[in-house]
Amino acid sequence: MLYRLRHLTAYAYRNPVGFARCSLRLAPAAGEGQAPLSHEVVVEPAPRAATERGDFFGNRTVSFTVETPHREFRIDARSRVRIARPPLPDPGTGPAWEAVRDGVLGGASLAPEAALHFCAPSRRVPLLPEVTDYARASFPAGGGAYAGAFDLMRRIRADFTFDAEATEVGTPLAQAFAGRRGVCQDFSHVMIAALRGLGLPAAYVSGYLRTLPPPGQPRLEGADASHAWVAVWCGEGGWVGLDPTNGIGVRDDHIVVARGRDYADVAPVAGIIAGSGAQSLRVAVDVVPEDEDEP
Amino acid sequence: MSAAATGEALAEAGAAGAARADGPAQRLARWTAGYAPLPGLPDELVAGDGALRPAWDRFLRRLAGLPECEIAARLAAAGRHIHDTGIAYRAYGEATERDWPIGALPLLIEGAEWEAIAAGVAQRAELLEAVLTDLYGDGALARAGLLPAAAAAGDPEFLRPLVGVAPPGGRHLHFYAADLARGPDGAWRVLADRTQAPSGAGHALENRLVMARALPEVYGALDVERVASFFQAFRDGLAAAASRQDPRIGLMSSGPYSDTYVEQAVLARYLGFALVEGDDLLARDGLVYIRTVAGLKRVDVLWRRIDGDFVDPLELNPASRLGAPGLVEALRAGAVAMGNMPGTGLVESAWLAASLPALCERLLGESLRLPGLPTWWCGDPGQREAVMARFDALAFRPAAAPAQGAFTSRAFGEGRDAAETERLRAVLRDRPGDLVAHEPVRLSTAPVWDGTRLVPRPFVLRVFAAATPEGWRVMPGGFCRISETPEGRPVAMGAGVRAADVWVLSSGSTEAQASLLPPSDRVAVRRVPGLLPSRAADNLFWLGRHLERAEAVIRLTVCLLDGAGAVSTAAEDRATSARLRALLHAWGAVPAVEGTAAALAHHALSDGGRWGSALSHALSARRNAASLRERLSGEAWRALSALLAVLEAPAEGPDSEAVLLDRAERALSLTASLAGLAQENMNRAGGFAFVDMGRRVERAVNACRFALDFGAAGASTDDLGVLLDLVDSRISYGARYILGVALAPVRDMVLLDPYNPRSLAFQVERLAERLAGLPALRPDGVAEAPARLVAGLSGEIAGAEAATLPLDTVAAWETRLWTIAEAIGARYFPGGSDAARPETLTTLA
Repeated sequence: MLYRLRHLTAYAYRNPVGFARCSLRLAPAAGEGQAPLSHEVVVEPAPRAATERGDFFGNRTVSFTVETPHREFRIDARSRVRIARPPLPDPGTGPAWEAVRDGVLGGASLAPEAALHFCAPSRRVPLLPEVTDYARASFPAGGGAYAGAFDLMRRIRADFTFDAEATEVGTPLAQAFAGRRGVCQDFSHVMIAALRGLGLPAAYVSGYLRTLPPPGQPRLEGADASHAWVAVWCGEGGWVGLDPTNGIGVRDDHIVVARGRDYADVAPVAGIIAGSGAQSLRVAVDVVPEDEDEP
Repeated sequence: MSAAATGEALAEAGAAGAARADGPAQRLARWTAGYAPLPGLPDELVAGDGALRPAWDRFLRRLAGLPECEIAARLAAAGRHIHDTGIAYRAYGEATERDWPIGALPLLIEGAEWEAIAAGVAQRAELLEAVLTDLYGDGALARAGLLPAAAAAGDPEFLRPLVGVAPPGGRHLHFYAADLARGPDGAWRVLADRTQAPSGAGHALENRLVMARALPEVYGALDVERVASFFQAFRDGLAAAASRQDPRIGLMSSGPYSDTYVEQAVLARYLGFALVEGDDLLARDGLVYIRTVAGLKRVDVLWRRIDGDFVDPLELNPASRLGAPGLVEALRAGAVAMGNMPGTGLVESAWLAASLPALCERLLGESLRLPGLPTWWCGDPGQREAVMARFDALAFRPAAAPAQGAFTSRAFGEGRDAAETERLRAVLRDRPGDLVAHEPVRLSTAPVWDGTRLVPRPFVLRVFAAATPEGWRVMPGGFCRISETPEGRPVAMGAGVRAADVWVLSSGSTEAQASLLPPSDRVAVRRVPGLLPSRAADNLFWLGRHLERAEAVIRLTVCLLDGAGAVSTAAEDRATSARLRALLHAWGAVPAVEGTAAALAHHALSDGGRWGSALSHALSARRNAASLRERLSGEAWRALSALLAVLEAPAEGPDSEAVLLDRAERALSLTASLAGLAQENMNRAGGFAFVDMGRRVERAVNACRFALDFGAAGASTDDLGVLLDLVDSRISYGARYILGVALAPVRDMVLLDPYNPRSLAFQVERLAERLAGLPALRPDGVAEAPARLVAGLSGEIAGAEAATLPLDTVAAWETRLWTIAEAIGARYFPGGSDAARPETLTTLA
């Protein structure tokens, strides 16, 4: 599948802002069935100096400062990417979840790709006894790690309500869990906390969904904004992407941008501005299969 | 022989030697009688055989040369010094500072024993540096199985943005501390490593100054190692991390609301570092600057006293209000050195303790000189098995928390009940890697003076080490915390804990150098010292304004009380009183204009619930002063505390007018002495200009306001009398004009007379002088906005004439003064035009 995608972020400030320092994680990742073809970002006002590097987990990160006083700040990212992922594993296969847990605890590598980076509580994902207990039903003794994670995803999809009004970007996990509602970020954080509570590694993945579904299929939640889901470590089965917001495994409709321990590691746009007064934010995301667009 | 027996023997010797009933020997006997160490635990005063240890014997014989009342008086003076200079400590979560409770006696350590401690502490510092280099480098130790990778990766102090960053200056750790206690066998053990941002060195310094002053003859006779050269070495070590000669060093503070802020201020002043907060710093174009009143000044080295995770809200904790965005990028670029590097807190964690002995063998090729508590990481199946076999005998702690927190009262899982045991077992089942188990701690004891005799109390000793180009240097001394209850648990600072100085008794000759003054050939003379951060200037300005406003409120109150005391009930007098009441009400000092003079005066002086009361302004002044501790003299802090004490005086029944008047007058004499202290003691090039400008602006505004309210056409004699009192000029007026008060002369004296130090004209001239003395940013020599505005106002005042001066003009001047205050703020303060408070950008996922 070949996608053309555009992610526009625009801030409007009531009072002029004289200084901003930002970092962006907007470029589609390479590997695991993804091949980025192009990526460009236009920032207005023009940044003073921009640097690009990979963060600890290898996500492409662009950092810059803006020192031109401004009331509107636009980040316009355009990319093209080809996706061809293998089919999802059979839920009946793979090692038992206890073996996966013990294997990670005994790991000896601190390299960025090591699963043990994704086991501990993190800034946005505290471990809560009620969330761990929620997970237990999916992980009977000796059950498969992947089968358990898939079941957990389905249960979250069934038990939780997608509700863009219920939470905002800073809502604590405990609140989203107690209310059983939220957006993709909350669904993903809950699932990650549930898995980590049992000692299983789980990563937060930020990215996009295709905006319009293929003919005859329902439109997915989270298609008109940036999206997030979970990658679960399944031992020798490797990382498997699961989208608890939609209750599906990750294949060619999902475009991976960045992977981290939680939202705080991969926020698409993070920044500090020197300014006072209100700000408003507009985000627009378009993910279009390229052949669809051609006459 | 027991301690008591020793004492008796000495007492007999004393009795035989002299007929005096109470000589040194009797005192010594009395102090040590009945001294009984806790069973099974070593004690500093008496050895296992019950004899006094030699160092303590020497010390106590000297001390016993002083009568008890003398000792008590000197220790009380030491306590007062601590109180007066504000060397205070604030327990976490407490709003107010408490005095640092100093223990009466120092902890004594013999030179030979100290050498072993120092070597052990230096070895640990070196070892931890090597471990950090690996963990933030290529991770070979984890691959070799020498430390548990899962525990390191799960530690919140493993700061991933710092992985692969070569620390500028070549090292992660510049300052290290270890908390020590004696084990049951008498050998020293490390309870905790402090690698994050160790505190307490400033208290060690202050304790030393106080104790050496309180007991000079004992201190002098014992050949105590000096600590000053350690601080010199620490400063040299930080400076060596910079890439420039004569670098600028900042102490990156956790701010006035943190529990160790006062200590940070003490150290910044002592070491000559700029005390800065995150808002003072700007990372830009690959360099880091301090925002000062003279523009951006490059900073080369930051001594970090905030947690590493808070250093940079962009790359680290987004919730941090203490850091500065871009600092991690600056570290990556080598633009600034930081001691300690962010992320060094990682090696404080308990999980590492289990691996340290093997790491020491591997990395340094020697065994650990100062071992920690025997510890097991429960994430390892073999270690977990050993732990479960002794489950009930061991204490448990979170693996990613400091090893044995001397600042926690109790180890998690020690003395646990059934519910806690159940929680512990659940964690061991689901996530065993989150826990370590260790042998429980019982602290050994040291003697404490309880007023009449010595008693054994548990203690923890903190020892400090600094990295220097010549290797690790250990402070010969330290910071000792002593529990006031005879329980052997680790000691948290807070209620029930005393601090003690630590005297290392020299085995050789003591260094002569007692002050921090470096040899003169190493420091260039500089007349304009250091730099003034914009935030500090802001606080100084508001300190001046709040003090002046407090004084004005008190003067209004005095006038109100004076008028009430007069027998006159003339309409004129009531009108004057009404004006006073209206102004106090407009200023937010009283709840209503009606009421007895005494009731209103009580509100105006002492009602902390009124934002405009003298007390509220004095409290605001103290808040400003609290952020300026390294710049304020002890005398100034003391006078400010005294002012608050006078204003806060509790009402014993309804205050009479006489009591209130007395309170007001005492408060006025304190505001006067504060003004005098600023005038006499503050460096003209540093903060004084801003305190003075704050005072002048406020006083000028008040002069206008008083003239408008009490000096209108047709003002009564009472009005004019009050006006003269409010600007404290009745005596000058009387000396100049014999014929009594008249409108034009009074107005002239209040507004236009450039020789009256209370007049508007005088304030504006001083403002012009202060502004002229401040650094200019414009390279073209054109005056900056505040100076231009002041010059304009000054010209108008000089051209005005009292007899023909319209009140509208005075009102316009008052408005102009507010504009001037705003212009000063915009030019010099961080809230100014181009540096508003940062906000965070966020987007929804």
